[in-house]
Amino acid sequence: YKLLKLLVQAVIAEEKPSAGTSQCSGEEQAANNWKGFCSLSSYTPYFNVDTEVVVDRIISSVYPMDDFSRKIDGSPDLYGPVWISATLVFMLAALGNYGTYLIQKRSEPNGDWEFDVSYVDWAACVVFGYAIAVPAAFYFLLQYFGLNANLVRLWCMWGYSLFVFVPASVSIFFFPLLFLVVPSEIFRWIIIILAGSASSWFVYLNLKVSTEGSDTMPLVVSALVLQFALALFIKIFFFS
Amino acid sequence: MSYGDTIPLHPSSQSDIDEIENLINAGAHSATVLPARAPSPSRASIPVSHSPFPLPPYQKMPPSSSPTPVVSSVPAAAATTTTAPGGSSRIGISTDALESPPDTLTEPVFDTVKRDLTRIVSNLKLVVFPNPYREDPGRALRDWDLWGPFFFIVFLGLTLSWSASVKKSEVFAVAFAILAAGAIILTLNVLLLGGHIIFFQSLSLLGYCLFPLAVGALVCMLEGNVIIKIVVVSMTLAWSCWAAYPFISTAVNPRRKALALYPVFLMYISVGFFIIAID
Repeated sequence: YKLLKLLVQAVIAEEKPSAGTSQCSGEEQAANNWKGFCSLSSYTPYFNVDTEVVVDRIISSVYPMDDFSRKIDGSPDLYGPVWISATLVFMLAALGNYGTYLIQKRSEPNGDWEFDVSYVDWAACVVFGYAIAVPAAFYFLLQYFGLNANLVRLWCMWGYSLFVFVPASVSIFFFPLLFLVVPSEIFRWIIIILAGSASSWFVYLNLKVSTEGSDTMPLVVSALVLQFALALFIKIFFFS
Repeated sequence: MSYGDTIPLHPSSQSDIDEIENLINAGAHSATVLPARAPSPSRASIPVSHSPFPLPPYQKMPPSSSPTPVVSSVPAAAATTTTAPGGSSRIGISTDALESPPDTLTEPVFDTVKRDLTRIVSNLKLVVFPNPYREDPGRALRDWDLWGPFFFIVFLGLTLSWSASVKKSEVFAVAFAILAAGAIILTLNVLLLGGHIIFFQSLSLLGYCLFPLAVGALVCMLEGNVIIKIVVVSMTLAWSCWAAYPFISTAVNPRRKALALYPVFLMYISVGFFIIAID
């Protein structure tokens, strides 16, 4: 109940005659204390995107050209990374289970197939863990090397780089159906290697733009390798 | 489209009700206090300037606060009531409540349950069922509650858990986590995109829109054929998305409509897929 009274006091102190939370305290740019950290309005600038902007960024992430960094120069967004990762989690869990279903039905047609819920857990941990931890690690490493890196830009870039895995996982299943070819292992490997390369190249190009220094080349190369390792892990864990 | 009245308070003990009322008295000098949990017909339209927070009818009236300013606001409240569905009986309850406090703590349990159930059913009819005479769906659920959503989420989790053959408890945990955390995250997503919604009202609405999927899960539990399951789940999924669409799309800037709607559809589709695949 004391908590309730504190809450009432806080609400009354903040209460303004006009509308909701996203409009109030736009001038409160407090990112340096707990109030800024916990209040919703300090994150609103990172979601200030329209549908066309997001679609545009997604398209430019599939074709690894230099354009992406210029597109997010002014306003890196966090909408893309969050929901691309969520979509990827869903796709991996759903299609991974569908894959085990097909395999089961082919090997023993009358057997019992069970939905493996652990795919959801693994997908969520791997994808969100990768999308959050790897950019953060690179941020700290780049700061250590003296380069000025922006954490939100790194999150944004890595998040969009994961997008290419979504059509890749879909096509691992439905591409063979389209062309009436049996989904063989070689197809899956080809698709995953293509997707992994595209994604790694995207990360490499954008990281090179961010760093612009040659003595951090091992760092950039390791980012490339990590992205490729993620692709391999996805293939081996979810689609084998 | 400004929703300024979003203070969901649930004081539940006497002394704290008194203190909170004093706080509100002290705080609301000349601002217009729009109570969040007023009785349903008069919810968003009471310009109460100096009177204390009018309690919802089923709370005990604190004996220490002066009844006169509260009673003077009640005729204003009753006069500004609009024709909300199921509202006429509410007006009676509210005037009764504030003039002679009914003892809702000692009423029969059946009455409490019946009142809550009636409210759940009426909210359900507002949100989910196609009703050509319903009021603007973008402002649905004036009288939101969280019992309905809670019940549907738990029911959906239990049904999925029952249908699963292995790892039943993990299935329930995943379903519950996805739905509960999903509703919160979806609401935050709309708020971050610059939309105007009330946090708990949105949670309530997203929970009510799960009703078709819960029905679909029940049907799929009882029915074994995969084709029928796919058909049933697709239909209920479309129904859920149709129910949620007007609310979300009117809450954000039209240029960001797709950004706000896509996560909602993603969540419902993943739940639908979960329902089909669990067997």
